[in-house]
Amino acid sequence: MKLEIGNIFIKDVQLGQETMINEGLLTINPELLAAKILEDERIKSARVELAKPGESVRITPVKDVMEPRVKVFGKGTVFPGVAANKVEQVGEGRTHVLKGTAVMTVGKIVGFQEGIVDMSGIGAEYTPFSKTLNICLVLEPMEGVETHAYETAAREAGLKVTQIIGEVGRNMTPDEVISYEHHPIPHLAAAYPHLPKIGYVCMLQSQGLLHDTYVYGVDAKKIIPTLMSPTEFMDGAVVSGNCVASCDKIPTYLHQNDPLIEDLYSKHGKELNFMGVIITNENVFMADKERSSDGVAKLAKMMGLDGVIISEEGYGNPDTDLMMNCRKVEAQGIKTVLVTDEFPGKDGKSESLTDAVKEADAVVSCGQGNLVITMPPMERLIGTLEDIETMIGGYEGSLKKDGSIEAEIQIIISATSAIGGNKLAARMY
Amino acid sequence: MVKEIERAGIPVVHIATVVPIALTVGANRIVPAIGIPYPLGDPSLGDEGEKNIRRDLVERALKALGTPIKGQTVFDDAYEF
Repeated sequence: MKLEIGNIFIKDVQLGQETMINEGLLTINPELLAAKILEDERIKSARVELAKPGESVRITPVKDVMEPRVKVFGKGTVFPGVAANKVEQVGEGRTHVLKGTAVMTVGKIVGFQEGIVDMSGIGAEYTPFSKTLNICLVLEPMEGVETHAYETAAREAGLKVTQIIGEVGRNMTPDEVISYEHHPIPHLAAAYPHLPKIGYVCMLQSQGLLHDTYVYGVDAKKIIPTLMSPTEFMDGAVVSGNCVASCDKIPTYLHQNDPLIEDLYSKHGKELNFMGVIITNENVFMADKERSSDGVAKLAKMMGLDGVIISEEGYGNPDTDLMMNCRKVEAQGIKTVLVTDEFPGKDGKSESLTDAVKEADAVVSCGQGNLVITMPPMERLIGTLEDIETMIGGYEGSLKKDGSIEAEIQIIISATSAIGGNKLAARMY
Repeated sequence: MVKEIERAGIPVVHIATVVPIALTVGANRIVPAIGIPYPLGDPSLGDEGEKNIRRDLVERALKALGTPIKGQTVFDDAYEF
């Protein structure tokens, strides 16, 4: 499978009449996008607002972040199987990307599990989405719509708008084209016999009750572990439907731009042999945890891997999935490195992870979510501050009179998301 | 809590949804519960079915409490009292 990613560098975005790109300036029509969203009867109001890096802007409550892309050649569309898109295999051909932009869905769904993106100040340092030109869709549900139905509506609204915006890149000449190839497993194994064969186990949040991820439209709690080409992620085969603690949320954008996949590709054929991605879930029943971790270990062995990197989304009981995957993969004689984040409490004295096994002797930390910071007031607000004190990371007294917010960094979108994509790390002294 | 109560000399049965965590934190007598969303029930079984689940779990837990053990023990369906 070969996928060419054609990056069109977007330097600025503005609202206007015609949807177009002119010398790096993206123009979008807010009325047109809002009208498209309001075709869904579950949504009462939709407004488009822009936020740019360095501006004094606070965006909250943020649900998901997506990157506008369009499939130019090859089968399928981006985000296959969701938001009325046909289910068709993706990951081959050519995909154009409006690099530098992001679409954000904003507005209360469950409130406590949405988060903050600040475009400047200390808060901006903690989220990857303070560096993107953000097209924010501020949504409100129709009265009487159940939360789970509205979550679906908001998710689909975001995906639809992201696709409409991505479409503008179809006939453009990209500023750069990067080629990603994924060969059949026997070819890969034969190509670099002297290099360690490495796989990536991507654990998808699937606890249910609005903690869900979708794979080609399938609710990930219903999958058994399976093998994916890394290029399928780049075409949006994996979509976030999550309301989890914001800091370790993996928004759709980070699945499209998975930092571990990027890094594994960059070292492929040089330091290691990147053999592919195993996706698995994080379910809430022990039988599921056993079945899925068995499946991960089996696939790793069938692929002939020497080592795997395992990432995680969320914390608490998913730490057990992480450890079960680690223990069972190691039992096959395959080395593991775990990528996670930590929650040691405000005083740092609690256990960082809920579970641990002795085989987990190589762990990369993406930071700890309990760190308290104070984010200065912002001149402009996109969304509402109503839920700040009940959001995970916030507490009574978090929202100060002057508009500043004192809270744990758990409240910031993707501050510690355990596939990387942020700046935090831990070192041993 | 399990460990502190046992430290005071009172045996504890931990009815746990995620058994590996109970093992990691050091519970000695563990009875597996149904699952995280409904530890002691199953809404699909109706009131009577849920009552039966609870009775079974409580009886299993009480039996476990009176069972001498040599180390951490999981009193699951396969355990023979």
